[in-house]
Amino acid sequence: MLAVNDLSVTYQNNEVLDGFNLDLEQGEIFALLGDSGSGKSSALRFIAGLDDAAKGKVELDGRQLSVNGKHQITPESRGVGMVFQDYALFPHMTVDKNIVFGISDQSKKEQKDRVKELLSLIGLEGIEKKYPHQLSGGEQQRVALARALAPSPKLLLLDEPFSSLDKNHRNQLASQVRLILKKAQVTSILVTHDEDEANALADKVGTIQNKQLTIK
Amino acid sequence: MNIKTLVSSTVVFSILTVSSIAAVQAASDDSVTVYSSRKEHLIKPLFEAFTKDTGIKVEYLTGKGGALIERLKLEGASTQADMFMTVDAGNLWYAGSQGLFQTVQTETLKSNIPSYLRDPDGLWTGLSVRARTIVYSTDRVKPDDLSTYEDLASDKWKGKLCLRTSKKIYTKSLAASVIYNHGEDKAGNIISGWVSNLAATPNAKDSHVMNAILAGQCDVGLVNTYYFGRLIAKNPNAPLKLFWANQDTTGVHVNVSGAGVTKYATNVEGATKLLEWLSSAEAQAIYGSLNKEYPANQNIASDDIVSAWGSFKQDDMNLSKAGILQAKAVKLMQIKGYK
Amino acid sequence: MEKGCFKSKIWISVLALLVAMPIFVVALSWLFPEHELWTHFSQNLLPGLISSTVILLIGVGIGVTLLGTILAYLVVMVEFPGRKWLEWALFLPFAIPAYVLAFVYLGVFDYSGYAQVWMREVLGLPGFDIRAGSWAIILTFVLVFYPYVYMMTRASFKRQKINMIEAGKLLGASPLKVFFKISLPLARPAAAAGLLVTLMETLADFGVVSLFNYDTFTTAIYSAWGDFRSIEVAAQLASLLVLVAFFLIYFEKKARGQAKYYSADVSNKKPYHATGIVGWLISLFVFGVFMLSFAMPMLQLVIWGWESAGEEWSAKYFDLIASTSILTVSAALITVAIATVLALPGRCKQGSIWLKGVIRMATLGYALPGSVMAVGLLYGINQISVINIYFGGESINHIIFGSISLLLFAYVSRFMAIAYSSIDASAQQIKPVFTQSARLLGATRLRLIWQVYLPMMTPGILAGGLLVAVDVMKELPATYLLRPFGWDTLAIQVYELSAEGLFERAAVPALIMVLFGAILMSVFQYLDKKSSKTS
Repeated sequence: MLAVNDLSVTYQNNEVLDGFNLDLEQGEIFALLGDSGSGKSSALRFIAGLDDAAKGKVELDGRQLSVNGKHQITPESRGVGMVFQDYALFPHMTVDKNIVFGISDQSKKEQKDRVKELLSLIGLEGIEKKYPHQLSGGEQQRVALARALAPSPKLLLLDEPFSSLDKNHRNQLASQVRLILKKAQVTSILVTHDEDEANALADKVGTIQNKQLTIK
Repeated sequence: MNIKTLVSSTVVFSILTVSSIAAVQAASDDSVTVYSSRKEHLIKPLFEAFTKDTGIKVEYLTGKGGALIERLKLEGASTQADMFMTVDAGNLWYAGSQGLFQTVQTETLKSNIPSYLRDPDGLWTGLSVRARTIVYSTDRVKPDDLSTYEDLASDKWKGKLCLRTSKKIYTKSLAASVIYNHGEDKAGNIISGWVSNLAATPNAKDSHVMNAILAGQCDVGLVNTYYFGRLIAKNPNAPLKLFWANQDTTGVHVNVSGAGVTKYATNVEGATKLLEWLSSAEAQAIYGSLNKEYPANQNIASDDIVSAWGSFKQDDMNLSKAGILQAKAVKLMQIKGYK
Repeated sequence: MEKGCFKSKIWISVLALLVAMPIFVVALSWLFPEHELWTHFSQNLLPGLISSTVILLIGVGIGVTLLGTILAYLVVMVEFPGRKWLEWALFLPFAIPAYVLAFVYLGVFDYSGYAQVWMREVLGLPGFDIRAGSWAIILTFVLVFYPYVYMMTRASFKRQKINMIEAGKLLGASPLKVFFKISLPLARPAAAAGLLVTLMETLADFGVVSLFNYDTFTTAIYSAWGDFRSIEVAAQLASLLVLVAFFLIYFEKKARGQAKYYSADVSNKKPYHATGIVGWLISLFVFGVFMLSFAMPMLQLVIWGWESAGEEWSAKYFDLIASTSILTVSAALITVAIATVLALPGRCKQGSIWLKGVIRMATLGYALPGSVMAVGLLYGINQISVINIYFGGESINHIIFGSISLLLFAYVSRFMAIAYSSIDASAQQIKPVFTQSARLLGATRLRLIWQVYLPMMTPGILAGGLLVAVDVMKELPATYLLRPFGWDTLAIQVYELSAEGLFERAAVPALIMVLFGAILMSVFQYLDKKSSKTS
């Protein structure tokens, strides 16, 4: 389903990641652990098509997305979704407007149904007309997840999605998110530095140490 | 959505703008177009009377003298202006020296306007005369103590003199005449004397000079007579009077406002007609009554208020000289610290 | 590092270069050196002018920063009697052109003005020359320009999280300490932006300084042009002003730093309540500033206007109002549109020193005195014609000169700085992550601009638009030189009358302008409120 081959990342002229390989099955959830500066976020952003890398190839569902550190396909058409650290919900849009942002090509009816379906998936029915700043941190986080899931991406990337929540909240939310991802049957990569979180959420956990990835 | 409204109104306004560009270019052929550094309220009544007399329409654009000269220079042959009208002989002389005027010497102009108020080559014609002389407080100054511009530099006026800024064209032209009459060295001393006699920072306007005298900040000053005329019209009992300077020597310094037909005028005939009409008795009377200036046409009498100030001897320095000497005068005033 | 960004297009650079055209023309004047005049200037004029300009800039800078910041802090953070309407009223001086305020102040406070006459006759104090020294003109500029700093710091204070202030209070800090240690440092970028605009306006001013007969650098520019008929030296001197502005912008960017202090939500809760005598003292202070900077000059204008309205008012005023409105609105819209395009986030600006450079060039026109800029524009167009003719084409002078498009071009060039700084500030608050997430959701650049950037930049766009509109309405020198036939504005009418000493009659168009400005500001307030409700 997803194949990342021989990815190398340099950061400020230092090689931080060398020969990163990863294969994921359809629906599999993978957690990538590592200290800050270990290149885990860079790997994620390369897969998303946002940043270039020194070397590396990405193939998703039979399509060549990136070859030799360069992107063949732009972020817009990769079919990859992403949940950012601080969610990046558009502050001037209500929850439903945020969620349908990625499915604007569908009809109004389809959009409405999809919003309903996703809100019930994340367990937050009835908040369509609220603005992001009226929601709690955990709620915003789940709305961001719903927004990323709306276009049914082939691959979902989560960049430290729980880092701005408190510890108790985090583990609880992590298992909730796992349920959501499993229901949505979406292949996912989570980047985090918290081992408990990684174990609570993922099927498979990998750790970056000394520029190398080891998978448990 | 605000922004969408904004964007769509931008589009509407762009269209509006483009269409008005087209409208602007359509000035009618038989009208005369004037660039003027005389203010609108001083020229509009004249042009309206001209149109009434002759049926010829006048379009005009006011602006600052120096800026309009640049615009005329750059517009060159494509200019819409048929006539350029400005104040101060220095400006007229400079416009002439930049090749912006064409020679117009008609019998009417020659008989209406004396030769020293016209350019020797017929490039421009003076249309009104403005005299710059001494104004004094009748409460604190005896007219017997007053005599000349040069005398205002003497010690007896220490702390009693108010002057208008050296940046104003009338001051520059007066200083040029001082250089013409005395040479640069002596003129420098006179200017230094003025500066050391000042009671206050030089004023921006002649009306401020007179207000300062009325308020007791100083006792004497120099003003163009029409500013005095306006003040007296509003406040007939003001303890202020004019004194004709230099009557035993060179005479009162005068300057002109005037006009010339532009080199690339498309309506030379109309512009010439307008120029001749402006020198006529009818127009000259309007000049006098509108702004209390002296007529350039010596055949007609001054406005009543103006006549009441009495007649005086004018400095007959050729006015082109003032133009030529102006840069020197400014340099001298800047060196001597006359702000 | 900004990643996941869009490559910038060539036409953005071209647009910026076009806006910067007058700057280039002015800089080209150095090809025509004139040693003699420079010798005279540098020996006799410049030493004095430079020191008086520096004194003016320092005095005005300190004054507007203090006054603007303190007023903004008071109306945002403290509840005191009359706060609500004063918060709005403090914007009003914006609508009065600086030279109008200056002639009113001189009329009241000069030796012959009411205030001094009263002082001498009733109090028996000696009179004095208010125009001697620098303090009076500095105070005038401060009262004219404080709204810039007030407006920008007010917006910044409003965005400061109230819990930061409350945290400070709980730690036992006095209100003053909270102001100096928390609020002020946080508002620094906004204050710096307001200060920059003020200093550039002060540098380019000609109206106020000539009424006070206070010599600044512009004095030399006009002397070179008017007295020595050297447009080249005038342009060379003006290009030095641009250089100064360039450094000012540089320092402002430094002062702003990389810090992004803002939170998005605006709270209307006031952390401090001033009651009793303190409350009334604060009211008195704020009201005093309002009186001095707006109410008193307005009263004087109304008295003058009352006496002369019958003589001055005519049907012609409908034309004046129409042309002023059309010019104001279209110039504001076009300037804001271009500034928005230049400021759009999500572009790979970090990588492109070139793009940053040309955009900065495009914002320097504000430091040029208006008439120098206008002549620069004429020269620029003329050069295009010359090149055109050289290649067998025709002169475009007759199409462009005296057309409204040239005048609008001048406004855009001149006021780009104000629109850009305001809009760029709001664009800076859009974090790259918004661009990235929108792209991953499949949004095209156009959709991103339309649905994400523009709505998020709305407050900055509105503020920029208002500032440009008010400035265009008041603009005199460029309008005076470049306007087409029949496009006289209210500002021109004010100038023509007051230049002849007819202040009473000049009060009529001046009052209409103030009314016009007040309407513009009400529209702004309305849109601002509406847009802050939704974000």
